Amino acid sequence: MDATTPLCIGMTLAAYWLVRALYLRLRHPLLNVVALAAALIITALAALGLTYQDYTPAKNIMTFLLGPATVGLAVPLYRHRALLARYGASIIGSVALGSFLAMTLAAGMAKLGGLPRQVVMSIVPKSVSIPFAVEIAKIYGGVPPLSAAFVVATGTLGSLLGGWLLNLARVQNPTARGLALGTVSHGQGTATALMEGEQQGAMAGLAMILSGLMTAGFAPIVVWGLKFLPAF
Amino acid sequence: MTQTLKLLAQMVLLVIIYHACDWFVTATGLPIPATVLGVALLFLLLLSGIVRLAHVELAADLLLKHLVFFFVPVAVGLMDWGGVFAEHGVILLAAILVSTAVPVVVVGLAAQRAQRAQKIQG
Repeated sequence: MDATTPLCIGMTLAAYWLVRALYLRLRHPLLNVVALAAALIITALAALGLTYQDYTPAKNIMTFLLGPATVGLAVPLYRHRALLARYGASIIGSVALGSFLAMTLAAGMAKLGGLPRQVVMSIVPKSVSIPFAVEIAKIYGGVPPLSAAFVVATGTLGSLLGGWLLNLARVQNPTARGLALGTVSHGQGTATALMEGEQQGAMAGLAMILSGLMTAGFAPIVVWGLKFLPAF
Repeated sequence: MTQTLKLLAQMVLLVIIYHACDWFVTATGLPIPATVLGVALLFLLLLSGIVRLAHVELAADLLLKHLVFFFVPVAVGLMDWGGVFAEHGVILLAAILVSTAVPVVVVGLAAQRAQRAQKIQG
């Protein structure tokens, strides 16, 4: 058997454990495990003269459990069902508003900016967690790794600026802060919200999952609406 | 040993739910990711009591703890797309910045207003 695939898997596991250990030590929301680990692997592949095609079989083996793991997000959603029942209308309303706005602004600006169609479709789901974003992008002809990069960029900006912007807008309510951070900047925003407090964190986690579901639901409408925007 | 078996059985359950949804999405051509359908389905199964938390939480918690691991191989695919950032970096950054900053503020304000309204009513 070709040694490339085991090598690639070993390399990925090593990069993940290394970066994760660093993250667990520093616990900083700006230290992004995905971005740093991927950068390490890309550097190693390039140094070894390997291409992404050489890496693809390893990728397919390693992502076999991604779908089932994502389905597992129903568990934290279920655990927080009391919060959902209590604040249902305001949670669903604000997450729907935020998801729709984020998609429309991102895709609209990308299209007006004259970006290629594949790139525009990859940016549509950039505010949601990677497993949702990647799948939504695929449906409309987007590129999964590009979507992953846009998701990480959004999470990083959201973590950097989110708290400050909410202070500026005088949003003090912890539930509202958590919802805003989780809806727009997924897991990274949730990590930031958790550092503000438990209630912020729980709301952000809930908002992150719901915004994944709603973004998938809104995507056909946004993609359809994009047709009417000119590209410069 | 029993713990490992339990974990494996729970993983199989998650794999089955995901692949059933994947099959359904492919068969119907529904423009919704199988993962999204899967989360909704498992949530409903938990709410209805058909599946109990104890039937899935061991596997779900372990997989979710390392969910980020699965994103790493996907992101490695970026090595073929560096040109996009070189060519369109400014527009991409502007689009991501605006579409992150504006919704954070709008959602924060809307949710705060909704909370206050609910408090006055209740």
